[in-house]
Amino acid sequence: MNIRTSQPIEGANIIGKGIFSISSATGAFTINNVVKDSCTFIISHLGYASKTVTVIKKQKIETLLVYLNESSTTLEEVEIFGKLKRSAVKETPIVSHTISKEFLDKNRENSLMQTLSKIPGVSTINIGSGQSKPVIRGLGFNRVSVVQNGIKHEAQQWGNDHGLEIDQYGIENIKIIKGPASLVYGSDAIAGVVDIQPNKIPFYNSLLGEVNILGETNNNLLGISAAIEARKVKWFYRGRLTYRDYGDYKVPTERINYENYIFELHDNNLRNTAGKETNASFSLGYVFNHIKSETFFSNVHAKNGFFANAHGLEVRTSSIDYDSSNRDIDLPFHRVNHFKITNNTSVTTGKHTLHFDLGFQNNYREEHSEPVPHGYMPKPSNSKEREFNKNTYSLNVKDKFKPNTQHDFVAGINVEFQNNNIGGWGFLIPEYNRFTIGVFIYDQFEIGSNLHFLAGIRYDYGLVDTKSYYDWFPSTINNRDGSTSHVNLQRAQNKTLNFGNISASTGLSYIRKKTTYKLNIGKSFRMPLANELASDGVNYHMYRYEKGNLNLDSEESYQLDIDINHTSKQFSVGISPFFNLFDNYIYLNPTSNYYETLQIYEYTQSKVFRVGGEINASTTVLKNLQLEASAEYVYSRQANGAKKDFTIPFSPPLSGLFSANYQFKNFLFLTKPQLIADFRITAAQNEIVPPEEKTEGYQILNMSLVTEMDIFKNNQLVEMRVKLNNVFNTKYYNHTSFYRLIDVPEAGRNLSISLTIPFNK
Amino acid sequence: MKLLLNFFYFLFIGLLISSCSSDDKDEEKPTISVNYNGGFPQGCVLLAKGETYNFRAKVTDNMALASYSIDIHNNFDHHTHDDQVTECDLEDIKQAINPLIFIENYSIEDNLTSYEINIPITIPRDIDAGDYHSAYSVTDQTGWQARTSIDIKIIE
Repeated sequence: MNIRTSQPIEGANIIGKGIFSISSATGAFTINNVVKDSCTFIISHLGYASKTVTVIKKQKIETLLVYLNESSTTLEEVEIFGKLKRSAVKETPIVSHTISKEFLDKNRENSLMQTLSKIPGVSTINIGSGQSKPVIRGLGFNRVSVVQNGIKHEAQQWGNDHGLEIDQYGIENIKIIKGPASLVYGSDAIAGVVDIQPNKIPFYNSLLGEVNILGETNNNLLGISAAIEARKVKWFYRGRLTYRDYGDYKVPTERINYENYIFELHDNNLRNTAGKETNASFSLGYVFNHIKSETFFSNVHAKNGFFANAHGLEVRTSSIDYDSSNRDIDLPFHRVNHFKITNNTSVTTGKHTLHFDLGFQNNYREEHSEPVPHGYMPKPSNSKEREFNKNTYSLNVKDKFKPNTQHDFVAGINVEFQNNNIGGWGFLIPEYNRFTIGVFIYDQFEIGSNLHFLAGIRYDYGLVDTKSYYDWFPSTINNRDGSTSHVNLQRAQNKTLNFGNISASTGLSYIRKKTTYKLNIGKSFRMPLANELASDGVNYHMYRYEKGNLNLDSEESYQLDIDINHTSKQFSVGISPFFNLFDNYIYLNPTSNYYETLQIYEYTQSKVFRVGGEINASTTVLKNLQLEASAEYVYSRQANGAKKDFTIPFSPPLSGLFSANYQFKNFLFLTKPQLIADFRITAAQNEIVPPEEKTEGYQILNMSLVTEMDIFKNNQLVEMRVKLNNVFNTKYYNHTSFYRLIDVPEAGRNLSISLTIPFNK
Repeated sequence: MKLLLNFFYFLFIGLLISSCSSDDKDEEKPTISVNYNGGFPQGCVLLAKGETYNFRAKVTDNMALASYSIDIHNNFDHHTHDDQVTECDLEDIKQAINPLIFIENYSIEDNLTSYEINIPITIPRDIDAGDYHSAYSVTDQTGWQARTSIDIKIIE
């Protein structure tokens, strides 16, 4: 039987001393004329590892099940597939990075983006231990598109304390584009894309599953994720359930000094940063001849507490007994639910392959905090400060057309409609509707077998329709004639705004022996967000008054990317510098003026110049020792405007990562045990823009042991990972962390143990 | 390979130039202090209704001051404490009926680098007595800000 699918194997050779048989379609075989008391025979089949079985005649064996491991054939298949993929990546001039399930399993951190931050050029903005948002080469928020199954993930990405609502388990393949990619991905992909690709279709007649258990010491996390996938012939399905529950995380300090405030921490716990997450997903697919279709349902639900002593920048005291438990989630907290249905269908007819991606998403987020009067606002009656309810409908149609061996044309259309509703007593962004449509075409032209050229153009039209908002309480206005009046102030206007944008990209790739050269020039854009256009309100947690600007233009960015990679058997080395110019980078500029005693921050545009890149090198020193080093750096400068010569907000510092990976011999039941040491050296970040603080450099050591364990009789290998993060319990600050603003250091030492147990029918 | 090394070289030089280029950006925040003779209010001070007090604080900046603000709001719910490291005796938590709300902004002209805030404020008679915060904030022309908050008490 096939060990993975538990399906009978037909045509297996059963060879013993003077005996020979071949298994039937049901996998059964008979051997006659056995004289000896015991006999030994070898069972083998093309594509499986041979197995030696001894049968003792005296024992009554009703059924002898022999499991065969899929081996050589499958491996070869993977390798060929891999090669094809690699060469496709080499040939396209777009600079991208592909991440495998193996990488994700090996490096898994508390959130998807934290896992991916090991990739040079990728970093995160963390909100506590369980949430984070992507940053690519120093740009994040709405400047990075996260795409899952072809559909852009739409939530409240602009928010400081918003994390990506995607289950990090069950992802097999991610493509990261570190550069402007509006050509294919539309608005928002101005700095890069995290493209979570659909998982590969299960094999014929298979039923597979896995259970993953994770425990962590720093925040006392317990996580479990279970998945199943099956396919008969044409139909297949997959499902996954994930539950994670964690307590407050620990920081290596007993007190936090923020400006003149001192917060004493109980047992190093960062009060009220506990959280929990429940995710479920299910998909049903059909594949036959030229049609492939999969419909995917998922729901991600999370509740996370925020640090109790300061919410944003606002220092709070409370009568809540936060220290009675480090697992409860008190105020302030947020609750977020992300529901998604997507359908991916592709049809191949002759030289055309048509792809359809259809999506509906609902993102619902509530933020709760203890009601407090602020300015003219009296004390609200409940804790629901903000509510966002956003529906996004998406449709992508793409035609891949290959008229001959030289050309690969892709033409497509993306349509998206967003409907955003708000609630609660706080106001940050208005309600709005947004409609965008974009059409694109590009061609990858093979000039020679090792020289490829890509050119494409895109046009987008967008419409933003903001809704008016009035305060629910009156404010006191001093009139010019000396009298005062009490008015419910208008915070957002009814306004319809149009945007039109051209994006383009062109590039060359040249493969010379073991070296690949890529050059790409692109223009990308991002439509202004509703809050950038229309907000006009007080953000008390940040002690600022945020003022939108209806005259903002779409952000436009020009980027030159170079990528050179040399890979040989012993070593590989790569460099990917970039040069980038934003004509009109939008940011929230702190002015020197006040509104009701709060500093006015105004959305402004300025010219920004950025340069940077990543370098990486890896080598196999000894047979089992692999060394890797990488470094990332971005330099940004505003070339005009109110903050001329300053950098842009959230600029990541120069950082390097050194990894050593040693593979031991198999030991007892441990198969392929590997010891990995990751040493990160990050320089100080002295390039800041008001209101940021400079951040000192740091060095962090993480160690992990990854092994497979042969403990089950059916030869299924259990994967185990023991990981020790921040080995020396170093106190350090991450310049781009949400809690950096209030001088909260990063998490202390953490030991995590993860087990992945596969099973099949 | 040679080309590759050249790229490394140029990137390295590029980084060196960009990271060492000196500039005279204003990276200093303004400062604000009531810790001097005449600074007002001091932590835990009692203010009587109907009286007029001169709110005085010294503000400085390395380049040019721009604006300041004074905010007096109630702390009847003990929502926060001051940053002057003084512990004041707070009254019991109570509901606000007609609390004092003082929210005013002022600008500092002539690019001064030091200035003394001096604003007379009369405590109205018809407001709730109790625990209050008095908060100052100041900006410089670059957009840096400094804040301070002081616990005060308004009595009959």
